[in-house]
Amino acid sequence: MAKTYDCLFKLLLIGDSGVGKTSILFRFSEDAFNISFISTIGIDFKIRTIDLDGKKVKLQIWDTAGQERFRTITTAYYRGSMGIMLVYDVTNEKSFENIKNWIRNIEENASADVEKMILGNKCDLDAKRQVSKERGEQLAVEYQIKFVETSAKDSLNVEYAFYTLARDIKAKMEKKQEASNPPGGRSGAHQLKANEQQRKPTSWLSRCSVL
Amino acid sequence: MSDSESVEKNGIEVSNEYVENGTNKLIVKCKFCGSKMLDKKSGTFVKQEKDLPLMQQETGKDAEVQNEKVNEFYHVENMYTFENIGFTHTVDNYKYLSCADCDAGPVGYYDMNTKHSFVALSRINHA
Ligand SMILES: Nc1nc2c(ncn2[C@@H]2O[C@H](COP(=O)(O)OP(=O)(O)OP(=O)(O)O)[C@@H](O)[C@H]2O)c(=O)[nH]1
Ligand SMILES: [Mg+2]
Ligand SMILES: [Zn+2]
Repeated sequence: MAKTYDCLFKLLLIGDSGVGKTSILFRFSEDAFNISFISTIGIDFKIRTIDLDGKKVKLQIWDTAGQERFRTITTAYYRGSMGIMLVYDVTNEKSFENIKNWIRNIEENASADVEKMILGNKCDLDAKRQVSKERGEQLAVEYQIKFVETSAKDSLNVEYAFYTLARDIKAKMEKKQEASNPPGGRSGAHQLKANEQQRKPTSWLSRCSVL
Repeated sequence: MSDSESVEKNGIEVSNEYVENGTNKLIVKCKFCGSKMLDKKSGTFVKQEKDLPLMQQETGKDAEVQNEKVNEFYHVENMYTFENIGFTHTVDNYKYLSCADCDAGPVGYYDMNTKHSFVALSRINHA
């Protein structure tokens, strides 16, 4: 069957146990379903489809297992990942300090050009906060990584974070492809109108899907 | 579920209120939160009998999983055909499919050998 999407990005969520990685992939709602069976087995990954500037983008988002530590996460874990969400818990100082260790681990094991973003989760719990937003921002500046505070519970900034990371990956890929394929006869191929693209899907697909 | 007016065996063209030319006529959504799982015409209707764990397990002390027999599925060859879906960790060479938003499930299963997915018609809504 023909592909029905323009891009496929593999993303990974990492961070200390309990920071809310699994929760970020879940939409909390009033009538929360009894999820006992599914949550006992645990989610490996989710596929979500987003519209990114008119492109249909599939995100395959991998959750990491609860007890994993940066010491045990190695190259195999990162294979194929194009984006990584580094998550800490704003009510847990230690999880924030460990972000540096996670970044080091990524530098040692992941591909050098993987896109990263730092999430300070549980920002709804202001009374219990141990890490100020300013410290999160400082860390992000230090490593030149984008940062946002999120609340999985209130669905605050979660969608924004995934769109931002996906947009950055797409921009990086386009830049790379421009470089390896300088403007000439093919220039503007990705500016075709939607219906033209459907007739000539390869022009865009060859640029964007890295499977 | 529909009482399958003209539902036939695999391979034979099937039509009823949900199936047209062998594929899902309507969008496939989560029964609980409405999250969109499959676009129109992206799953092939198949009949096959499978044991699927109940979506709502009775919370007893014995950890025995309660199953039911399900026999109508949409077959999805490529996992990236899904709009939004969750895959559990692997159990006996299968992954279970769940709603990407509210985690309701299993709504079907994924076979690690063939890499094909199957969505149970009885576990989803058509819209
Ligand atoms: N108040 C609040 N609680 C949250 C938030 N996100 C997660 N939690 C809670 O924090 C706890 C841990 O969340 P999980 O999503 O299981 O954390 P995790 O990072 O997946 O943990 P591991 O799987 O052990 O690595 C749960 O009780 C969640 O309900 C949030 O944004 N706000
Ligand atoms: Mg988890
Ligand atoms: Zn749902």
